[in-house]
Amino acid sequence: MEMFANLSLGLATAATMTNLTYCFVGVFLGTFIGVLPGVGPLAAVAMLLPISFYLEPSTALVMLAGVYYGAEYGGSIASILLNIPGTPSSSVTCIDGYPMAQQGRAGVALFATSVASFFGAIFGVIVMVLLSPRLAEFALLFQPAEYFSVMVLGLIAASIVSSSGVLRGLMMVCLGILLGTIGVDVNSGDTRFTGGIAELRDGVSLVVVAMGLFGISEVMISLRGATQSYAGQTLRGRDIYPSWGEWRRSFLPALRGSTIGAFFGTLPGTGQTVASFVGYALEKRVSRNKDNFGKGAIEGVVVPEAANNAAAQTAFIPTLTLGIPGSTTMALMLGALMIHGITPGPRLISDHPDLFWGLVVSFLFGNLFLLVLNIPLIGLWVRLLRVPHYYLYPTVIMMICVGVYGISNSLTDVWATLAFGVIGYVLRLFRFEPAPMLIGFVLGPMMEEYFRRAMLLSRGDPLVFLERPGSAALLGIGVLVLCATAFPVKKILTNLIARKGTA
Amino acid sequence: MQRRTLLATTVAALATLSMPVLADTNWPERPVRILVSFPPGGSSDLVARLLGEKLSASLGQQFVVENKPGAAGTVAASALKEAESDGYTLMLSNLTPFNVAPIRFPDTPYDAIADFDHITYVGTVHLGLFAAPSMGVSDLAGLIDAAKADPGAYEYGSSGVGSWGHIIAEQFQNVSDTELFHIPYKGSGPMRLDFRGGVVPSIFDAVPQNLPAVEEGTAIPLAVTATERLSSLPDVPTFTELGYDIVAENWLGFSAPVGVPEDIKTKLDSALTDAMALPEVKAQFDTWGLVRAPKTSEAFSEYVSAQLDQWTPMVKAAME
Repeated sequence: MEMFANLSLGLATAATMTNLTYCFVGVFLGTFIGVLPGVGPLAAVAMLLPISFYLEPSTALVMLAGVYYGAEYGGSIASILLNIPGTPSSSVTCIDGYPMAQQGRAGVALFATSVASFFGAIFGVIVMVLLSPRLAEFALLFQPAEYFSVMVLGLIAASIVSSSGVLRGLMMVCLGILLGTIGVDVNSGDTRFTGGIAELRDGVSLVVVAMGLFGISEVMISLRGATQSYAGQTLRGRDIYPSWGEWRRSFLPALRGSTIGAFFGTLPGTGQTVASFVGYALEKRVSRNKDNFGKGAIEGVVVPEAANNAAAQTAFIPTLTLGIPGSTTMALMLGALMIHGITPGPRLISDHPDLFWGLVVSFLFGNLFLLVLNIPLIGLWVRLLRVPHYYLYPTVIMMICVGVYGISNSLTDVWATLAFGVIGYVLRLFRFEPAPMLIGFVLGPMMEEYFRRAMLLSRGDPLVFLERPGSAALLGIGVLVLCATAFPVKKILTNLIARKGTA
Repeated sequence: MQRRTLLATTVAALATLSMPVLADTNWPERPVRILVSFPPGGSSDLVARLLGEKLSASLGQQFVVENKPGAAGTVAASALKEAESDGYTLMLSNLTPFNVAPIRFPDTPYDAIADFDHITYVGTVHLGLFAAPSMGVSDLAGLIDAAKADPGAYEYGSSGVGSWGHIIAEQFQNVSDTELFHIPYKGSGPMRLDFRGGVVPSIFDAVPQNLPAVEEGTAIPLAVTATERLSSLPDVPTFTELGYDIVAENWLGFSAPVGVPEDIKTKLDSALTDAMALPEVKAQFDTWGLVRAPKTSEAFSEYVSAQLDQWTPMVKAAME
């Protein structure tokens, strides 16, 4: 009963004309800003933060949240059409989304993204409504040992998503981890591998790596003509609906993705990225259509999008119930409250129930807006691909540079992005995929940080990772996943040998 | 919003009337940048945004906040040093880049005193020592007894190696002759999550962001690093009161590259002073736990130098 009281309170807050309008404005601006290469949810929220100073706290939060998940969605548009992910989690969407676009099925991929995002988000909201307070406590049970094990699982998942083979995937993950070690070491405060450059003290910026490896290198590849240009293809813009078979094939993956996403979303800081990769890796194991993964399988778009959006919603749980931001984007959301004199803290929900439940209900509206807004726009986005390369690619490069500069106000970062573009280009020439590298780069340093913190807390006893049941379970899953991957490899090898024998 | 604009305009008008000397400068004639050494969203960033908005209203030009986080604030301070001293580039200066980083990193490319004009003091935030209920202590003496009984058994969290929490914690262990086990974090957020989850039993962290947890009973404040008791925690003693000579202030101010013309400095200082006297700004500072004590420009300059002298041995001792 309490649940319905909460919901009706939330509805009363969210369904006012002002809040609905700003919710729409938020998702609208979020989508359009998120589409720009180099501009992710963080930058989009930061850009619009000043506007929120003039709004009521609930309206401000509803709008910024809309910007956040709107930008998340917008990012997948650029991932699918141009192979330029705005965030590490949308780099998973690239794996199958971009091949779909190359096959002239960009419309279907975008449609699937819309629906899967909606599905995942609604799933996340339901989880929030049912479990919010308890999930926050659950998140607190996660200690450094468990976080380490989650990262290990995420990295295993990352190395097996690569369609060019587990070995290459692992190599890229390791390269990413190495890159991530640049900067200040948390435990000693000493700098590592910075070459004396002050800007590198905080490490290489994620946006720089992502935009360089994916965005710039994509443009270079297309200049070389290595990938078949699809811009000349006649794209059937109206043909955006998946076939009945694809609908049917997508339902269970969407459900699995959402569940994984809702779970990982509650872990501050790590949720979305790990959720997309683990969801994708799992699906690649269990799907009947696994052979098509990486070649434009619709499930490969559905799973990460559902996971990512479910996680985007449940990520609000620790932030709002504990008042401690799990990520920089969430810190901005709390900043919007602080400017209105509302101190985020454990009593936020009890002191401002209208604010919390209003926000939760606004997620429902916002995601509905996103769906309604984006399905008619798919045709427009797809038409973007018809823009000739000599207009499209210079524009993309310019926008990446402006986006990178806009985030850090640093010209060094722009040069670094271009340098990573060259690195990405060379890697891709040798068929090394950038996605596992990106996740290695993101998760590697966190894994190290949690590993060393767990070791500090146990005073150097490595058994801590096996003695804590949560950590042991996660590591167990990781080992299982690795074994499951190893066996098909064996099968393929024996098949190959057998074939050679008969030939 | 209209009322605010009206208020600000009135204040600006009064300021202009009361100080005819201001007519000497046409500054600002174009937008002014305020560099902030933190990412957007934190309380220091919000201070800059709030004051920037008030300055825009009273001085008739946009005051734009530009976040340049990184390398313990030295990225922003280096950029400030490189900027023209024409009053169009300012920085929300604070403890770390001016009093801690130059000592920690000998290759810091600026002199915290000689290269800058420290113009207006904004206020300060203090550090507190908080214990988790699970530790079973209710005051500082209890924690010291526990730590002495079992040296190195109890962990404390700080927001990073070389952070002010770490430096003060090391000083605390020196003067109290105790040994705690340091668990460094990347910033205060992750540390507070672990503190609440029972991973670390005590933390040295800025007071304001921990007040909700204190109210909830999940953080027990043992002592604060102020010179006198804080109005937000009136029952919590200061370290000095308990006989430990530990004072730490994370101050905020407005600074510019050295050589800004006197009349611009005067105009900025008086506009900022007026802005900070506005009731809504005062109220906002109170909720953020920013302790405000008026200082003249000269006093602020001297304060920054004195702070540097105070922190130099402490930073060196902690980083040994």
